[in-house]
Amino acid sequence: MTVVGDSGLPRDAGRRDALHHRERLRKKITEQLKQGIGEEDIIASGPEKKVRVPVKGTKRWQFIFDRGRQQGVGQGDGKPGDVLGPSGNSSPRPGEAGLEPGEELYEVWLDMADVEEMLFSELELPRLKPKNESEIESSRTVYDEIARKGPMLDKKATLRENLLRNAKRGHVSLGGIEKPDLRYLTYRDVPKPRSRAVIFLAMDVSGSMDANRKRMARLFFYWCVQFLRSRYDQTEIVFVSHTTEAREVTEEEFFNRVESGGTKVSSAFEAIDEMQSHRYPAADWNVYVLHVSDGDNFSADNLRTLELIQSLARVCSLVGYLEVDPGSMTRSHKLSLFYEQEAGDVAGFVHARASEDRELWPALKLFFAKDDVEAAVR
Amino acid sequence: MSGYTLADLQDVDERCRLIANGELGFDVPEVIYHLVAPEEVYFAAANGLPARYSSARWGAQFDDAYGRYQRGQERIYELIFNTRPVHAYLMDGNSLVAQTLVIAHCLGHGYVFENNEWLGAVDREIMSRVISAAERIADYMGAYGRDRVEDFLDACHAIAIHQPQAQLIRKAAAREPEHRSRPFDVLFPDEVSADRERVAQERTALRSRFPREPEHDLLSFIEANARGLEDWQRDVISIVHTEQSYFVPQMRTKILNEGAAVLLHQEVCQRLFLPTDRYLEYEQLNSVVMAPHPARVNPYNIGINILREIMRIAAEPNDEERELWSWAGEVEPFDQVRNVLAAYDDEGLLREFLTPKVCELSQLYAFQHLEQDPRRIRVSSREADAVREVFVAQHSTLGIPHVQIVDADFRGRGELLIEHIHDGVGLDEEYARGTLSQIAMLWGKPCTVQTIKGRETDQHTWFTGYPDGRSERYVTAPQ
Repeated sequence: MTVVGDSGLPRDAGRRDALHHRERLRKKITEQLKQGIGEEDIIASGPEKKVRVPVKGTKRWQFIFDRGRQQGVGQGDGKPGDVLGPSGNSSPRPGEAGLEPGEELYEVWLDMADVEEMLFSELELPRLKPKNESEIESSRTVYDEIARKGPMLDKKATLRENLLRNAKRGHVSLGGIEKPDLRYLTYRDVPKPRSRAVIFLAMDVSGSMDANRKRMARLFFYWCVQFLRSRYDQTEIVFVSHTTEAREVTEEEFFNRVESGGTKVSSAFEAIDEMQSHRYPAADWNVYVLHVSDGDNFSADNLRTLELIQSLARVCSLVGYLEVDPGSMTRSHKLSLFYEQEAGDVAGFVHARASEDRELWPALKLFFAKDDVEAAVR
Repeated sequence: MSGYTLADLQDVDERCRLIANGELGFDVPEVIYHLVAPEEVYFAAANGLPARYSSARWGAQFDDAYGRYQRGQERIYELIFNTRPVHAYLMDGNSLVAQTLVIAHCLGHGYVFENNEWLGAVDREIMSRVISAAERIADYMGAYGRDRVEDFLDACHAIAIHQPQAQLIRKAAAREPEHRSRPFDVLFPDEVSADRERVAQERTALRSRFPREPEHDLLSFIEANARGLEDWQRDVISIVHTEQSYFVPQMRTKILNEGAAVLLHQEVCQRLFLPTDRYLEYEQLNSVVMAPHPARVNPYNIGINILREIMRIAAEPNDEERELWSWAGEVEPFDQVRNVLAAYDDEGLLREFLTPKVCELSQLYAFQHLEQDPRRIRVSSREADAVREVFVAQHSTLGIPHVQIVDADFRGRGELLIEHIHDGVGLDEEYARGTLSQIAMLWGKPCTVQTIKGRETDQHTWFTGYPDGRSERYVTAPQ
């Protein structure tokens, strides 16, 4: 017989848990993206790019009856024999949990920018060094850094700090914002030496690269390009296709051209070596090379290839090789095996294999490892 | 607030009680009302009890339901908690007429909480436990990482509903096989000794079985017997189990409880509003509450129709009904409603009182999902007997498959074997496999369920979940 004006509980508890839910969803989506996301999932181009991500792991698991076989009771019009529309697949209401399967979120649409943020924050161009003083860029003012002092309060970052600080003390909630929580947006206009970088992307397009291998190679390069463009917009990208001969191609050709013929991997490295020494001297440029092939090289060419890799590795920040190899029975003739045996001591050379899509992300992470985890890279 | 004060609400409560108690004879316990923001109502609806531990799980439900509210697609008017004293949330911003309906409605719930045998069995002092559990879980999240604790909570929630009280379990002790001596045994010495041998073997097998008798309480069994669980994990299991046990009686009395609440709000509001211009507003709200839900059942609608049918039988039974119920025509209608509210759950209520008249009033039909598109249904019958059969079967197990742990050393490797006691319908494969990998995460070893394929009662099928999240289907018993 009492009416009270409130519940005596924190009002924002719902919002707090909703944030936890979204954060959890975000992590699951990120994991999912790493399992391999096809180009076909990226809809529309330009700045409006959206990615369709099927989200597993958001289902509320419980034992339910075989859905096609179950009987039920409904209310409303309809004669025996009538077929009625989707049978109340709405989300469960509290108290009815157990009577309906949990909400199923089959797919979500994400902005490409969000996806990049989720994924690419884990990647970095390794060993990026300031190059030639003369290339100093005129100073720019960019508000993109968060600091404890600054001209503009960043509310979002402040709340995040507050939550973090509270969480460390065991209360996962917002509140009691104090000075140590305050975060400011601040600008950079210190003249920064430009860390100029060039990356050579070389793809084997020979006959042995069947549709699936080419698809994997393209997918891998697609994410490379997305990563570089979103994080290092000053980076130059040189596209190289090779069979027994190599040539520089446009981005469009690189992703779409179909060729056939034998394989001579050294041709690609020769072409890269040539372009690098003439156009991108190591004194002025951070140089990166990534090569993707199915590893079916003309075996007499292997030694020559290794020589070129050794010489490139001396001037490059990274030479990487990814073997896309779904379903090969034997590796005896593969380039990866040869590298394993012969190239163990070449500093700055990293190689990896992927036999399915979800191994592409670990490869990407290996090549673009953050410098503080360099131990993983030889 | 919308043109009224807390004192006005207090006044409404007193007037409603006066009618409920004085005129209708419902002695309602104290209810403490809290006037709260929509956000809080929706959050409490998401987790079922206030002050429960923080979890992304509630956040997902809150996001979903509160979003629908903000888009104007749904509106919760009230929430009530089966605690002692009873607490209820009124949503701030509702009109005084709406609040009056809600307060009268809550009196019905309060009465049922106090008098129903199933709901009375609940631990109504649960709030102090809920609050301390919330603190412990927050500590665990701090110590072991939020994600890890959330994952573990999800696994617990996947099977929390499988508690004995949910399923009207009558435990029969497993009978040990024995050899019975018969008069002509002496003529068949070989057969008799073979039989003795067989019986002895079966008995040994039975005695070495663990659990000795099938276990229906999945979480409790795992908490007590899983190896490799840390203390905090056992605590989390027991928290989820305890809190779920609060909800199970509410699930099994949903129709009865809502029926009682609607009965009281209708009777009280008609007496309060009838001569006034506020009656129209009340009646509009009432009809929204009562509207049938397409392709499912609105418990408010069916609940009140059944209770009113009981009142009619009490007041004006036909000859057949006099035969069926000794009280028909002999008892005050509200008294008979109170008798039913005290002793029944939904299963009993439907079994006994889902009459052809109720089916007609509530426009009920039985349906079958289309095999090729389970999202669509085919109306199979509008006959009361057919509807009742399906409805009762659904409510006897709360709509969830009945499963039990039959072997905790399956394949001799300490794996869990769970049996689905089917009623002619198998398990959904995707959900069974997902659930099993959750159980496997708790148990620490693979877990298998034995069920049937679709409706083929003679074709068994097995699903196994592994602690790493993988799962398999087997068409023969996994070896």
